[in-house]
Amino acid sequence: MIDEHLLISGIIFGLSMGSIFFLITIGLSLCFGLMRVISLDQLLYYTVGAYITYSISLATGNLWLGVLGGMAVGGAAGFAAERLVFLRIYERDITFSMITSFGILIGGVGVIKYFWGLVPRPVPDPIDAQIDILGTDIPGYRLVIIVIALLVYVGIWLFLNRTIIGKAIRAGIEDIEHVEGLGINVYRLFTITFIIAGGLSGLAGGLHAPLIMVDPQMGIELMAFAFMVVIIGGLGSIKGTLVSSFLVGQVVSLGSLIYAPLAQMAPFAIMLLILLVRPTGLFGSPLLKR
Amino acid sequence: MNVLRWWWGLVLAFALLALLRVFLPLPFANEIMIFSIYTMGCNFLLGRVGLISFGQPAYLAVGAYAAAFYLYYFGTNAYLGILIGIMAGIVVSLAVGALFVRLRRDYFALVNLALAVIIYYLMQKVLADVTHGDNGLWFLTNLSSTPVLDLSRPDQFFIFSLLVAFAVCAFYKYLDDSIFGACCLAAKINEDKLKFLGYSSFGIRLVAFVIANTTTALAGAMYAVYLGFVSPEISSPSRAADPVVVTILGGVGTLYGPIVGSIAYTGMKDLISKVFGNWELIIGVLLVFVMLAGEKGIWGTLEPLLKKALFRAPIGTRHDGVTGG
Repeated sequence: MIDEHLLISGIIFGLSMGSIFFLITIGLSLCFGLMRVISLDQLLYYTVGAYITYSISLATGNLWLGVLGGMAVGGAAGFAAERLVFLRIYERDITFSMITSFGILIGGVGVIKYFWGLVPRPVPDPIDAQIDILGTDIPGYRLVIIVIALLVYVGIWLFLNRTIIGKAIRAGIEDIEHVEGLGINVYRLFTITFIIAGGLSGLAGGLHAPLIMVDPQMGIELMAFAFMVVIIGGLGSIKGTLVSSFLVGQVVSLGSLIYAPLAQMAPFAIMLLILLVRPTGLFGSPLLKR
Repeated sequence: MNVLRWWWGLVLAFALLALLRVFLPLPFANEIMIFSIYTMGCNFLLGRVGLISFGQPAYLAVGAYAAAFYLYYFGTNAYLGILIGIMAGIVVSLAVGALFVRLRRDYFALVNLALAVIIYYLMQKVLADVTHGDNGLWFLTNLSSTPVLDLSRPDQFFIFSLLVAFAVCAFYKYLDDSIFGACCLAAKINEDKLKFLGYSSFGIRLVAFVIANTTTALAGAMYAVYLGFVSPEISSPSRAADPVVVTILGGVGTLYGPIVGSIAYTGMKDLISKVFGNWELIIGVLLVFVMLAGEKGIWGTLEPLLKKALFRAPIGTRHDGVTGG
């Protein structure tokens, strides 16, 4: 059997990984639910967030300032992309937005390569302290990531359930035409959603930066995992996204403890299985209007 | 008469392509031909059946590895290798197609990507004993010279790939004009009506899926034979969107779109990476612009202009055989 200490650190590792997945895919999921676009450019904002974090933390020596900066720039980039590109393609077919956002993604990667070059950049870990859980030393920073992801989930939940804009967004996911009929400007909702999504992706990039090397391809490398998380959870469902990102994080982390090559493949096998049983994912709505 | 005229167009197009050989370096011309075949499958799926697949590299890898296994471990005949690649393409796409074509379009795109990733890791890590992992299989020296066209020589390989591309193109042209092609288009535009007419939309999608991905596997087998080398890189997820991008760039659903798109994409990639060293930026920006301009692509925009210039006949009065969707 697996060593106990290894198991605990594996679970924490999986949870922190799942938190990063969650922060990225919540944007994908929200954008799909409300606007019916598949916004692959979230992975660009993730990469941008990581690079901004790198630059700011290099300049000021404070990672958290960098993460905030990455979040702000991610949100701004999301806003710009929505105004310039997505505004023009809401009416089109869903696969259309997928290709367009892929264009934004690789174009943005080109811009990043232009500014920062190809060399992977290291970001120092801000918290050196090891925290003792059941006799196992866990890097404190990973716990911080998990806490932040849970706070974001609570924040999003409060936003969607307790504020009028959030309620309008939720109603829009159900039936956009009725929301429009109530006199609410849905295009403003779209913009707000995009800014939130971009900001959260930027946050994910900033938080992930100290754990990995920051390089231009990091977003594209995560693309398959991001897809997988939204498919397992069901496109458009926040709760599903949370559940499936932690599920995928655990499968990747624990799978690599059992048999290393399994770690990359197992989540995809699980995804195929789930799709065959429930073609719309765990929490996806079976009916798609529009 | 109408049919004759379009066959004539096809021959003319490939005569022009053969002429490219004079101006372009050989590896580049070969790359274009194989990439065109690769894209034709995706073009058929996307333009005729309305299924967008982000996992074409999966089927490319199936064809390539099937050919590579044969050429590395068993035989030396390149023709047989390509044939085995095609067979593998048929078998795999039949097996996964039966599961995949039932899914909704957005899930279909993502599930194919997942398959590409599975095959990538399968070849890179799980089957590393057979595939030699990231080092890949090298079998260029294993290839014996074949009669008629010697596939182990690049210049003769170009003639072969040109002929194959012609055959594939003619086949898709034939499909477009057949009842099956009309059914595919109906499955894209209005599935309910197709069912109403008594056709099984599952069956039609499955057959179309198998045809398209067998074409892709053929392209993969040709890659393997041409390069004499296969590595897991061929189904790398970061290249998953290449065929879709080229299809859109060339013009979705048009006959010559894949060829035009392949020339433009390969050429730009080559040129830009030589001049600026930053091809992603240009391709990305271009892709967004092509999409915003209205999904017509290069050929879709050029074609009406060309027709006007060449025939000077009012376009609306003649049956338009090439574009249809």
